[in-house]
Amino acid sequence: MDVSYPGAVAPARQRFVASLGLRLNLVEWGDPAAEPVLLTHGFYDHARSFDTFAPLLAERYRVLALDSRGHGDSDWPDAYSWLADVLDVVNVLRDLGRPAHLVGHSRGGGLATDAALLFPTAVRRLANLDGFGPPPEGFQAEGMRRYQGTIPELLAAFFDWRRANVARRSFRPSPSLDELAARRRQQNPRLSQEWLRYFASRGAREIEGGFVWKVDPYAARGFGPWRPEWIAPAWRGLAMPMLALWGDQPDTWGLPDPWRSERLAHVPVLETGVIAGAGHFMHIEKPAETAARVLDFLGRA
Amino acid sequence: MKRIASGRSEVALHELSSGAGPTLLALHALGGSSRDFAALAEHWPGRVLALDFAGHGDSDWARGGSYTPELHAADADTVLHESGEVCVAGAGLGAYVALLLAGVRPGLVRAALLLPGRGLEGGGPEPHRERAPEVRDVLQMLDASSARPRPAFDPMLRACETDPRPADYARAYADAARRLLLVEDGGARPPWWEAARAAACAEVASTDAADALRRLLEGSQAGPSAGRNRAP
Repeated sequence: MDVSYPGAVAPARQRFVASLGLRLNLVEWGDPAAEPVLLTHGFYDHARSFDTFAPLLAERYRVLALDSRGHGDSDWPDAYSWLADVLDVVNVLRDLGRPAHLVGHSRGGGLATDAALLFPTAVRRLANLDGFGPPPEGFQAEGMRRYQGTIPELLAAFFDWRRANVARRSFRPSPSLDELAARRRQQNPRLSQEWLRYFASRGAREIEGGFVWKVDPYAARGFGPWRPEWIAPAWRGLAMPMLALWGDQPDTWGLPDPWRSERLAHVPVLETGVIAGAGHFMHIEKPAETAARVLDFLGRA
Repeated sequence: MKRIASGRSEVALHELSSGAGPTLLALHALGGSSRDFAALAEHWPGRVLALDFAGHGDSDWARGGSYTPELHAADADTVLHESGEVCVAGAGLGAYVALLLAGVRPGLVRAALLLPGRGLEGGGPEPHRERAPEVRDVLQMLDASSARPRPAFDPMLRACETDPRPADYARAYADAARRLLLVEDGGARPPWWEAARAAACAEVASTDAADALRRLLEGSQAGPSAGRNRAP
């Protein structure tokens, strides 16, 4: 798939890291001897979604990006839990053998934050790009499952869904990368068709009759009936400074106030920044501005 | 013993005894197995089914190390799907799973007997997503999960030692359940246990497990109780 995108640079190195019996895909850019920065992507994204952002950080750092379990070129587990996903990040940090900065976007921001809580000696600074969890009633996107019903009803829905769908090996195929990108664009209308075509060329595989996302359909329902308001109180224990970034444009997938402020109030040493003209995907919409803000923060370590 | 496909792996279900009367589904404590219920099964007149949770006994380990009470409950729900209406008895982790099942499937779980035991002992009064374990515990867990020869049960099950949910989460299941009987042995009780105990359908049973089983059976044979919310 010979698809290119302005500013996108393929990683210089790729390898697999073992974690809890799975093989996780890890890619990297920059001088291998430089100080490491580990990037963690969001839900339904993949490590190559950093192809425009990572090279900007790689001018100063060794930049690594992990495919979360069930995503990209990493293995699929039997089941999902937040803790196992967090321990994958911890395992990559252990594999690096020296403290690293963590930069996570969306769900990856949440993973990075909880990994920093579990393994503070391995994490120097933490940048969280709009990864503060969903609003109490969930993201209000078209066709998206909402947190409706009682807690037992939600768990019943998970049981029923699991019984019916766990054997499913992929999402619905698209006849072309363009169509796959267009489908994704319905969820992410702020992102260009050109970018999403590039994103799909790295995040999908070709099958007979078209293309399917590499991501595990089961990953969507793996969290169980947790409540978004349980997320932030533990952040009081963060041992390093957090940079919290968000875009100033409305976006279905960003966490608006008052919830953002309520959750960030738990972070002991907090720095905030707003990327002008960007939505939830600030590192894709405004890579230079986002990288400048992150570089400034990491450089003060 | 038969192995049942549940999710992406298989769990082992043991028939400990058979007989006329309601079926009892037994759910063991953290680190235990279906064998723990051999003595108790003699006090139940009907069929006794005992599940080995994932990562325990004759069941598969979860590839990738994800163990939560909800996932164990999903496996137990697979059993319910085949067995039909049951009474459930669970100890420790199994008691928590029994509580989840009783709340999720009130039409299939006549009553649940909650016994003390290992698993879900801890847990805090305030909401938090995952209780942050001490870092040395995390590192031990990671090291042990790749140890060879492999230990008797999956070290990642340590994630089920404490309750990561606020107590009102457990209460929501207790409020939806038909009947809960709790056996208390005087030991420390986690917040989720106290929350379940406060539900209208909950009673504290005798510390003698055989006697508690008798009460579980009597209540279950009394026919449909009035007024409790019940799924069709």
